[in-house]
Amino acid sequence: MKSALLVAWREYAENAKTRGFWVGLFLFPLIVFLSVQVPILLEQKATPVRYFILVDPSRGLAPAIEAALEKSCQRQMLGALKEYARKNALPMTNSAAPRPAPSLEDLNEADALSLETFVAKGGRDFFLAQLEPRLRPGAPPFQEPRRPFQQVKLPSTINPKAELSSIADDLKPYLRQDKVLEADGLPVQLAAAILIPPDYENQIVRPQTRSPAAGPRPPASPRQIQYWSANASDPRLREEVERAVNAEIRRREYLARGMDAGVIEQVEHTYIPVASLNPKKEKGREAIGTLDTIRQWAPSAFVYLLWVAIFSVMQMLLSNTIEEKSNRIIEVLLSSVTPGELMMGKLFGIAAIGLTMVGAWVAALFGILSWKSGGASELIGQVFLVLRTSNLVPVFAVYFLLGYLMYAAFILSIGSVCNTLKEAQSYMAAMTLLMMVPLMTMTFIPKDPNGPLARVLSWIPLYTPFIMMNRATADPPLIDLLGTLVLLLATTIGALYLAGRIFRIGILRTGQPPKVLEMLRWAFRR
Amino acid sequence: MKSENEMPAAAALQLRHVTKLFGQFKAVEDVSFSLGPGSICGFLGPNGAGKTTTIRMILEILKPTSGAITVLGRSSALEVRHRLGYLPEEKGLYKKMRAWSIIAYFATLKGMTRKAARKRAFELLERYGLKDFAEKPTDALSKGMAQKVQILASIAHDPELVILDEPFAGLDPVNQGVMEDLIRDLARRDRTVLFSTHVMEHAERLCQRILLIARGRLIFDGSMAEAKRTVPRRVRLETGDDISPLRDLAEVSAVRPLPRADGQADGRDPGSLHWELELRENSDPQVILQTCFGRGIRLQSFNQSEPTLHDVFMRLVGPEAREVAFR
Repeated sequence: MKSALLVAWREYAENAKTRGFWVGLFLFPLIVFLSVQVPILLEQKATPVRYFILVDPSRGLAPAIEAALEKSCQRQMLGALKEYARKNALPMTNSAAPRPAPSLEDLNEADALSLETFVAKGGRDFFLAQLEPRLRPGAPPFQEPRRPFQQVKLPSTINPKAELSSIADDLKPYLRQDKVLEADGLPVQLAAAILIPPDYENQIVRPQTRSPAAGPRPPASPRQIQYWSANASDPRLREEVERAVNAEIRRREYLARGMDAGVIEQVEHTYIPVASLNPKKEKGREAIGTLDTIRQWAPSAFVYLLWVAIFSVMQMLLSNTIEEKSNRIIEVLLSSVTPGELMMGKLFGIAAIGLTMVGAWVAALFGILSWKSGGASELIGQVFLVLRTSNLVPVFAVYFLLGYLMYAAFILSIGSVCNTLKEAQSYMAAMTLLMMVPLMTMTFIPKDPNGPLARVLSWIPLYTPFIMMNRATADPPLIDLLGTLVLLLATTIGALYLAGRIFRIGILRTGQPPKVLEMLRWAFRR
Repeated sequence: MKSENEMPAAAALQLRHVTKLFGQFKAVEDVSFSLGPGSICGFLGPNGAGKTTTIRMILEILKPTSGAITVLGRSSALEVRHRLGYLPEEKGLYKKMRAWSIIAYFATLKGMTRKAARKRAFELLERYGLKDFAEKPTDALSKGMAQKVQILASIAHDPELVILDEPFAGLDPVNQGVMEDLIRDLARRDRTVLFSTHVMEHAERLCQRILLIARGRLIFDGSMAEAKRTVPRRVRLETGDDISPLRDLAEVSAVRPLPRADGQADGRDPGSLHWELELRENSDPQVILQTCFGRGIRLQSFNQSEPTLHDVFMRLVGPEAREVAFR
């Protein structure tokens, strides 16, 4: 046992010195960091402001479109302000000063009434002033989000009173980016032009007047509202405009049919909330919240972690075994320790490396999450709560160890018969393919954690660690939980025993690696 | 060969009728020998003779198909593995480990404490001229240096039985000398050394005892003097005269012309010629000299030399050699 520990310690110490280990240690958190940060950066910096021209000679729809775009900007503003407050303002105390009404924390950018209140109170300036006394010392100034869409005037060379078709022709060079426009003295590129014909009302499609044979949409005609843009991949402006125009048309229809404007507004803001409830939860607390969503998806994150950890540790074990074999160090080792001790030492040394790596990843993950969500983050608190109250961490530890040992048995067998990594590649390709299954099913399992796919895959020992990890918070039936665990344990012990036999023969062999059948013969030979 | 009854009781190593089969192939067949403590024994044989397989069986890396092996009084080498030192034929080290730490690592595997192993590693590196390379990773060392590190790793724990498979391969002549001193030093301190080599000069200088193995079978086991006695004594002479009177002598078993410097071996060439005469056992070479004087054979040179181990090897396992058992 002492020899096995010595081997394990060497494996640990030497692997911890390798570049691969440190790259692995930092690469995963870096990927997580980038996948959190890059979309935010892209959203903030890389998505260009879309400049557009709105031509509406009758001014029949322009005010509605402009108002809708402004509202969208205010929604973004409110969201940004709330995020700024969460990161930089002290939480509101309950006792001391009376809570100002409405406070930023009470408003919700997704709610239309909240947004109206925000705008009516004075928007950004009002709430920034309200926030001022609560700001932490050294808080950075508030950065206003960029407006995604910016309206520009028609170039002076184009006659706004001309026919729409002629305006469209004149605008084409700008839309194709052959010419640039000027906005606030700076040259800008025109992303879109919205042309509204004066007689747009004749184009309104009403169910009672449209023949069913006409198809879902009338064919395009120059008399329709036209949205010109060379960029078809960013549909946001088009969607905003379409939504605004149709909302306005419908509002007018209500009015035309004799409904009161106030009533219409009230009706538009009327809604009924739907509560998601979970029958498995304690009575009175069945409502599903963020916590439950985290609880449902956290296992998937652990499956991914498990997969990456097992896969990278496998690579280490493989290259390490092949090094000893190809360097013939193995002979000296085998004159000092038994093959069993050598195998045990390698398995535990590399397992310790794997656990160190995973530990560092989890720590880095928490670090990134807590940094991204401010000091006293609500989300990180909830993630911690889920980890504390669920069995995820111990389950992960058990499945990591068993899964690692089982796969390690295959790797040691492969490593012991191959002289170079190149020789091992064909075996490894098959292993990798086998290991892809849990990754591919990772997002399906939480949707139906006790369904047939999940249950069948759980009983295949190769996949048990991943699939059962995926089902960890879904209360799988006891038979699945214990049965698969016993099967996994038995498979792992059996695989290690057989790997030990292959290892003993293979490790001293030179020349071409044997066929799988021959390896099996070694394993099962009496 | 020595009978089993004669084997010393306190043998450092004893093999009895050891056979190893790989499938149908007999890698080692019925090998028996024993080594006393404090001896240096050369384990010789052509490539593929079964030396490495025998060594692996002694170290219990491989299990014999039949027969028994006793190492330092135990039936299993694993029980006494801390008292064994082994240098395999194909040498290799962990590339990224430093020289001292690799020596210390193998010493701790052999039961030394970490602290003592570290101290010993530095001591050995200093004694064998590698002090300046102690902190270098082994892939930064030259092939010879790396091999020295590996040799030191195999003896760092001061083993009682040291088995060295081709310890001289890859070393320059100076370091070969250092290696020879190291082996002699081990024997002086009552350690038993079994080493294999293809370079007969090393074995000749170092060994009291020779084991010769060919095609899996031990074909000679005895002292250096006994080994040399297996080769007939030879006399080399140079003369331009007819040597037929020498052919007829009872003491002479064979007469061969020796190849000339230009590779020719034609005894009928006129002028000075070189000959080699093989003598029967217990014959006195002086008889040849007397006959030459008596029959008027004029000698340019006369050389009566001891056979070398190379001659023994060539005779016993050379292409035309017959398998012979001695003693």
